[in-house]
Amino acid sequence: MLNSLCQPVEIFKTEHGAVYQCNGRNCFWVEFAGGKTSFKVEDFLLLKQKVEAIDVQSMANSTTRATDIAIVMPLRSERCFVLTLTDVLNFRELLQGAKAMLDLNSLIYECLHAMAV
Amino acid sequence: MKDLLRLRTSLSEEIETLLNEQIKVEAHSSSVYLAMSSWCNRHGFDYSAGYFQKQSGEEREHMLKLFNFVNDLGGRAISPEVTNIPQDFESFRSVFEQALQQEIYVTQQFNRIADRCMKARDYVTFQFLQWFLKEQVEEEYVARRALELFDVIGEEGTGRYEIDKHVPKIKYDNE
Ligand SMILES: [Fe+2]
Ligand SMILES: [Fe+2]
Repeated sequence: MLNSLCQPVEIFKTEHGAVYQCNGRNCFWVEFAGGKTSFKVEDFLLLKQKVEAIDVQSMANSTTRATDIAIVMPLRSERCFVLTLTDVLNFRELLQGAKAMLDLNSLIYECLHAMAV
Repeated sequence: MKDLLRLRTSLSEEIETLLNEQIKVEAHSSSVYLAMSSWCNRHGFDYSAGYFQKQSGEEREHMLKLFNFVNDLGGRAISPEVTNIPQDFESFRSVFEQALQQEIYVTQQFNRIADRCMKARDYVTFQFLQWFLKEQVEEEYVARRALELFDVIGEEGTGRYEIDKHVPKIKYDNE
């Protein structure tokens, strides 16, 4: 869980979750579906890609129980996400929103530091 | 706030994806050339078989050049999955026509990536791509010259035999 080494900064928040950045450890905390998990930068981006790759169309069309949920098991993490269709959409919104804020931060960072030199 | 994305890599997600797609294209080219080599071998076109095998090796080199670039910049180079390799070809001539078409496609891809780099102001990758753009001039030249042999020499009589013998001699020396 969060400890004193981490001073998480909120990156993006929705009704369903939030993403924080830890500047002490250079990682992200993803809060979703009742849990908070840390991810290294690369693993966070992979998680976003995995969630984006879920075929929501076939989930929506599915009539069998086994295929109307999606399971995402990120490597190097104890967390396992079991997602319904709505969860997938909410999770996507959260991760994509966070990524957009991170891209924006890159732009701002570049501008600020260009001026500082 | 620290820019963790930039600390990881200077490649944007978009450019990294495009480069990984190109890694796949080069791997695919390499496999197609190998299939062409096998076809030529089966049909007695020994020189062309050697030529295509050499081309196959070059495409793998291209793939690795892109692969290492992505990793060197902190990105995540993906070992490509290669599928749908044609193993049979209509004729000796059609092999060369397909080879040229493949090179044209590759040139178009590099133009597209260069265009995206410009728009994303990624001049590091843009500069890296120059080597490939130049290389494509040669690749297309050689492929086009090879195909032209079919008209210049003609396929009648011992024509195909002569064409086969000429293929490895095509050189681009307009550096
Ligand atoms: Fe190539
Ligand atoms: Fe080529």
